[in-house]
Amino acid sequence: MNSAVLKKTMYWFVVPALVMYLIFWIYPILKLFQYSVTDYNGYVQEFHYIGFDNFSQLFQEGIAGKSLSNTLIYTVIFVVFSNVIALCLAFVLNMKIRATGLYRTAAYIPTLFSAIVVGFIWSYVYMPESGLIATVISWFGLDGSNLNLLGSYNSALYSITAVEIWKHIGTSTVIFLAGLQTVPQDLVEAGKIDGANSWQITRFIRIPLLATSITINVTLSVINGLKAFDYPFIMTNGGPGRATSTLLVDIFRMAFKEQQFGLASALAVVSFAVIILITTIFVLQLNKREVSA
Amino acid sequence: MNPAAKKTMIHVGISILLLVNLLPLIIALSSSFRSIKNMANPLRLFNEFTMESYRAAFTRMHFPQALLNSLLLTVISVVVVVLFTSMAAYPIARLNNRLSKFLYLFFLSGLVVPSQMVIIPIVQTMQGLHISGSQYTPILMFITCSIPFSSFLYTGFIKSSVPLEVEESALIDGAGLLRRFWQIVFPLLLPVTVSVVITQGVWIWNDYFFNMIFITKTAESPLPLAMLGFLGDQTNPTAWNVLFAACFLCALPLLAIFAFLQKFFIGGLTVGSVKG
Repeated sequence: MNSAVLKKTMYWFVVPALVMYLIFWIYPILKLFQYSVTDYNGYVQEFHYIGFDNFSQLFQEGIAGKSLSNTLIYTVIFVVFSNVIALCLAFVLNMKIRATGLYRTAAYIPTLFSAIVVGFIWSYVYMPESGLIATVISWFGLDGSNLNLLGSYNSALYSITAVEIWKHIGTSTVIFLAGLQTVPQDLVEAGKIDGANSWQITRFIRIPLLATSITINVTLSVINGLKAFDYPFIMTNGGPGRATSTLLVDIFRMAFKEQQFGLASALAVVSFAVIILITTIFVLQLNKREVSA
Repeated sequence: MNPAAKKTMIHVGISILLLVNLLPLIIALSSSFRSIKNMANPLRLFNEFTMESYRAAFTRMHFPQALLNSLLLTVISVVVVVLFTSMAAYPIARLNNRLSKFLYLFFLSGLVVPSQMVIIPIVQTMQGLHISGSQYTPILMFITCSIPFSSFLYTGFIKSSVPLEVEESALIDGAGLLRRFWQIVFPLLLPVTVSVVITQGVWIWNDYFFNMIFITKTAESPLPLAMLGFLGDQTNPTAWNVLFAACFLCALPLLAIFAFLQKFFIGGLTVGSVKG
């Protein structure tokens, strides 16, 4: 019977998606690998193969190092804070109190705004002198005019990461909440009967059963963190100096502003390797830890 | 502490936390209702209600045209995504051989590749096919970039929640492959379809990147691209009221849809992310 339902002709259904995917995604990615060993400028269709010169230039001039470390710092902070905050928020919203729906909506609203709108509004928050943070600290008698969070080399990266966290928390919270709601109530009751306190119930019953949601959230946030582009692009343009230049911001700048497409492709290949490596490690590790109720 | 007092404390705590969280949006909203000259003390909330800033932003971003363009791009993209990825997921979920496993991973791996990384070869591909300067070019990329996640959701759902038996009985009634898929399987996929429409619809609606790359004419700009025209104003305090009005005009359509379909937004996010 199965063989009558499951025929190979079903594969025709894959064709439309596969064709688009191959032409507009896979083929361009393969082209990147080709360009990474050329001096191509992106416009004149004449280029020479120059071996691994682009790669050695990237590493010798420290370009790759800086954008790589920026991206990794961005990712680590983003993954840790967005998931920890969202998990705490989900636990609170999972309590048997009124108005949790309202609170959930309030937590979710920032996720609906376009990155460009969020970038604009947070630029106001961080503005020296007249911005939100500067105004608030001036109420406490502190001088806000010197506090330039986006303009200072040491704080700019952390400031834009905070924006990404703010934008993302709603999504993670909703996924954690759904996970919490699948934790069987009798397991929690059994824990209580055995004398577990509420921290122990959370630590030994709820969190292990949340493994699927944790995997999803952590994986998605790792991927999103490594793809950091919007806020450095809109809010700081990679600056001051190269303080917020992530891998993608650098690739975009090299390709579109400096017409060094060969070099940009080489950096893209480096990013590609880093992204694949980190994501694979995460997915494998997290899948091992999952348990079922 | 008695339970009632404890509950009140919790409510106060959450409310303060979420208010602080929403403060940037609240201030932006309050400023957007001020007249263009009333700039001082944005923290004095809602001290004036005028639509002056909105009128200015409305004209400057060509709101009706931009809204129409956004709708056009999003609706076409989302419809094609639903059709193509539900179809693609069907054999991948049903057939259990090397090819289907390969296709599953092949599509899913596209999720980790950022579009900014491959944008120049993409532009060249479009130019090679002579379709690069059109208003509809971003649609091709919206669809392509939605394939990995959407086909992942559909595959998981077909495997876990669409039993083979429903198709077997249809087969006995003589239904061919096409009819079985469109009349029996596809309607059962509604929960994932809702999820795909919402998750992909929101990012496509909000995306500025592909629009920025491919669309050059103001008349063809969707809302987020029209917002890009305000770039630079965010560091100029005298332009904030109009900028914030523009921000809310840009967000308004989605907020309105969210207000009516909230449970689908929240529910749609979690299909496929929770086992069982």
